[in-house]
Amino acid sequence: MTEVANGQQLYAYKAIMKVPGAPSFLLYNLKISDIIFSMKIRTFFSVLLCKMTKSALRLLGRGGTDFPGLIAMGLYHNVLGELSKGVTCIIVTGTNGKTTSARMIEQVLMDGGLSYFTNKSGANLITGITAEFATNATLSGKCTKDYALIECDEAAFKEVSTLVNARAVIVTNVFRDQLDRYGEVTHTLNNIKIGISHSPDATLCLNADDSLTASIAEEVKNPVIFYGVDTPIYTNRVEEVSDAPYCIKCKHEYIYDYVTYGHLGGYRCPACGYHRPQPDLSVSKVVATDTDKSVVEMTVDGKTYQATINLPGGYNIYNAIGTVAIGKALGLDTPMVIRSLSEFSCGFGRMEKFTIDDTAIRMILVKNPAGCNQVLNFVTNVTEPSVFVVCLNDRDADGTDVSWIWDVDFEQIAEMSDLLDGLYLSGIRAEDMALRFKYAGVPESKMKVIKDYETLMQTCTAQDKPVYIMPTYTAMLDLRVKISKLYGFKNFWE
Amino acid sequence: MELKICHLYPDILNLYGDRGNVLCMQKRLQWRGMDVSVSTASVGESFKASDYDLFFIGGGQDFEQEVLLPDLQGAKTREIKAAIEDGKTFLAICGGYQMLGQYYKTWDGEQCDFIGAIDIYTEGIKKRMIGNYAFTFDELPGNHVVGFENHSGKTYLGSGVRPMGRVLKGYGNNGEDHQEGARYKNVFATYSHGCLLPKNPALCDFILAETLKRKYGSVELSPLPDQLENSAHQYMEKRLL
Repeated sequence: MTEVANGQQLYAYKAIMKVPGAPSFLLYNLKISDIIFSMKIRTFFSVLLCKMTKSALRLLGRGGTDFPGLIAMGLYHNVLGELSKGVTCIIVTGTNGKTTSARMIEQVLMDGGLSYFTNKSGANLITGITAEFATNATLSGKCTKDYALIECDEAAFKEVSTLVNARAVIVTNVFRDQLDRYGEVTHTLNNIKIGISHSPDATLCLNADDSLTASIAEEVKNPVIFYGVDTPIYTNRVEEVSDAPYCIKCKHEYIYDYVTYGHLGGYRCPACGYHRPQPDLSVSKVVATDTDKSVVEMTVDGKTYQATINLPGGYNIYNAIGTVAIGKALGLDTPMVIRSLSEFSCGFGRMEKFTIDDTAIRMILVKNPAGCNQVLNFVTNVTEPSVFVVCLNDRDADGTDVSWIWDVDFEQIAEMSDLLDGLYLSGIRAEDMALRFKYAGVPESKMKVIKDYETLMQTCTAQDKPVYIMPTYTAMLDLRVKISKLYGFKNFWE
Repeated sequence: MELKICHLYPDILNLYGDRGNVLCMQKRLQWRGMDVSVSTASVGESFKASDYDLFFIGGGQDFEQEVLLPDLQGAKTREIKAAIEDGKTFLAICGGYQMLGQYYKTWDGEQCDFIGAIDIYTEGIKKRMIGNYAFTFDELPGNHVVGFENHSGKTYLGSGVRPMGRVLKGYGNNGEDHQEGARYKNVFATYSHGCLLPKNPALCDFILAETLKRKYGSVELSPLPDQLENSAHQYMEKRLL
């Protein structure tokens, strides 16, 4: 009850609301002055409209979760805050590896028989997240699940965290990414720090090997679990520029005892003494890697476990140990978490595998130099002649500036010589991509610009070599729609 | 014939695929049977300007530019200034462009002195100027340059410095006077990355020819099969203009 100056309770009006076709419990006596009640009503309509918009979009055969979320927030800005009350929220943020980490954590929650929901379609802005909460709430605004696993764009984290009180936050890493959208890496890091300052109850899982991410720990009071990789991952690493060669604290150049990839590894600053913190859990040994999986040894609380990560690529070793860190933050059983890593199958366009007309195709999202270099570390290790496809778009979600492709060591593809059977370039900026490969040293006779996705897929499947498709984000969405249409695969929002 | 290229601060000023420009110059000389060497000079490494024919300097993030400024000032500044006055070629992009100038004044009035090798200065604004853009290159009439700009500094040219060309689409130096880039002796400075040279082969060859001319007298660069270069150029030109 709100009291006004003269101490009288204010009843604005009493009304009977009738919503056509609505169930009878909708007939309320409305007391506008009752703040809690009004919040409930706003939550109710916000959730209802969000669910309805989402269903309507599905009926029209359209995906997307941002629009329903926008509707929900438009009706009640704080609806996310209401819906997330009483739910154990896990937030996954950072530049690279968010989606795969979230999928790995999801496998853990699923195998543990926990009741959860997650923003599955890569909808990681506040609108998409709000829509997921609304989908998993009753009309009265109560969440029907115990856990919410939220993949959150690092800029959106700042905003989402004002409404959602996270129980655990994992920061995967901070790399240079789409500068036209995020700005400099220090800016991204600051956004994450602001998000964490809004999350006082969260246990933080921080990548110890990333000098940028690890630096967060000294500025916060939250409990921190550091995870890392104690050893180099690759025998042959692509050449890449470091996104953080100079000390975040004093600007002196770091010394590295070893590098795993990018600027990650065992760094220390000879000037101010800042150094890689001792991880609480780590990958102590890489036992074996191939094109389907990695086998590693993990050390957690002094105990060593052998873990099979059912996804290739060195950077997924980080996503795996990060998942074990989240398990620890949530108090889950470590052996169970490690078992889940071997059960795991990949997320939306991240190393996704499918077969069309007997052609084995892997789709691997690329979006920035660091991530793309790691993908190359993986694909250039194939042992049989293969076809490679790069689809470069320059829409907002891809980054409108394509100059990052010149920072990627595509020379590695040229050096594959006979193992490079063909190279197809597609997407809005296919010509720029072809030009990049020309200067990387790929003979023009091996390259083909195929802008039409239907022709592209037909060309890929008309031959018998494995195909590795590397699309940027919106190119991946378009390609999947085309593949669904041509070959009847599921649409991503299903 | 041989050109010696020096890439300044390649490990720090490497924000927007700038190494592609060096790669482009290198390849286009090699494809014509010329020799080319690429050296680098970063923090703590001295260089003698007389050892090189062409210098490249790219752009970096603010944090990284702060790292190198103390190193750039002093001996390196003296070498760079002397080389420029001596007619050596400089290609400077974005942050590198700004750093050749007099100073950068932030939007809240703080001034950061640069090396003053060319008479330009830059003033920061809050809203960045971002996007694909196109401009003319006055020394090659009829040729357009396409690229991508992303800067919060507005650059103004002093007397004795002329622009590279006129903005056809986008912001350019400052979004006000329709000028883009700076030309002084053999300095070519621009906000354009994207990366600049591969999809502007005529500009690349012009810069190489000027450098070779200074070293060997008159040179004629043989044409190269530039289909891919031209189609990337034309795609963006068509989209913008």
